[in-house]
Amino acid sequence: MIKPKFDELIHAPTRLSIVSLLAAAEWADFKFIRDSVGLSDSALSKQLTILDEAGYVEIRKGFVGKRPRTSARLTSVGRAAFEQHVAALREIVARAGASLLSP
Amino acid sequence: MNERLRPDEAARALTEIEQRQEQVIEVALTPAWFWWVNAGLMVGLSAAVESRRPLVIGIGTAVFVTGVLAATGRVVIGALRRAQLRNRLLPPVGVLAILAFVAAILAASLPTSFALDAAGVRYPATCGVLLGATVMAVGGPLLMRYLRRLMLAGRVGGQR
Repeated sequence: MIKPKFDELIHAPTRLSIVSLLAAAEWADFKFIRDSVGLSDSALSKQLTILDEAGYVEIRKGFVGKRPRTSARLTSVGRAAFEQHVAALREIVARAGASLLSP
Repeated sequence: MNERLRPDEAARALTEIEQRQEQVIEVALTPAWFWWVNAGLMVGLSAAVESRRPLVIGIGTAVFVTGVLAATGRVVIGALRRAQLRNRLLPPVGVLAILAFVAAILAASLPTSFALDAAGVRYPATCGVLLGATVMAVGGPLLMRYLRRLMLAGRVGGQR
């Protein structure tokens, strides 16, 4: 059972998109995240740095041939925070549904 | 902020989460053309082997190997360049579906080939493989649709 916990760091619009993408992946390429979320290189770097500093993502830099390749993945801490955040969002929606149903 | 977040905003956030996760799932799915290409290559190889002419067998084998490697490479490398799907998103029933798909292709082609061979039909293996290839070309996209549904249901935020 996941304990609902609203996470302000994750809930910021662009970070929510980034973390949601990463939650479905073992890891994701920087360009894929950038194009999927529709951010510039610098904006994505900034958001990933914030998530990295919070311990939510791990950033890997490497080379494929001579080309630099950056990828990111959610850490177990980040995944747990994301799941708790989703549970908190669901709780808010469910609570509203319950209040609508009650006379 | 939790206390101030309205239910409609929370619902919108959950929709955003679902859509982003769906983007990753779509990357991992094998496109329909892959099944048709492989089905065609299988039939071509069988026909080449049953021609019993060394040159045709050689060309058929080369085309088959090159084609399978190129198609698989394109699909796998294309997906890995973007994102690697989380393994846990594919439940055991999904793995069983993949195994059943492979078994269905074999079940369609092998018995048909042996039966046609016993009946003295010309090109029995090619006819059998043609049936298996049809199962692959039609069943591949159906399998992907099924796996997509399973993975969408299994994602975080996917069961509201």
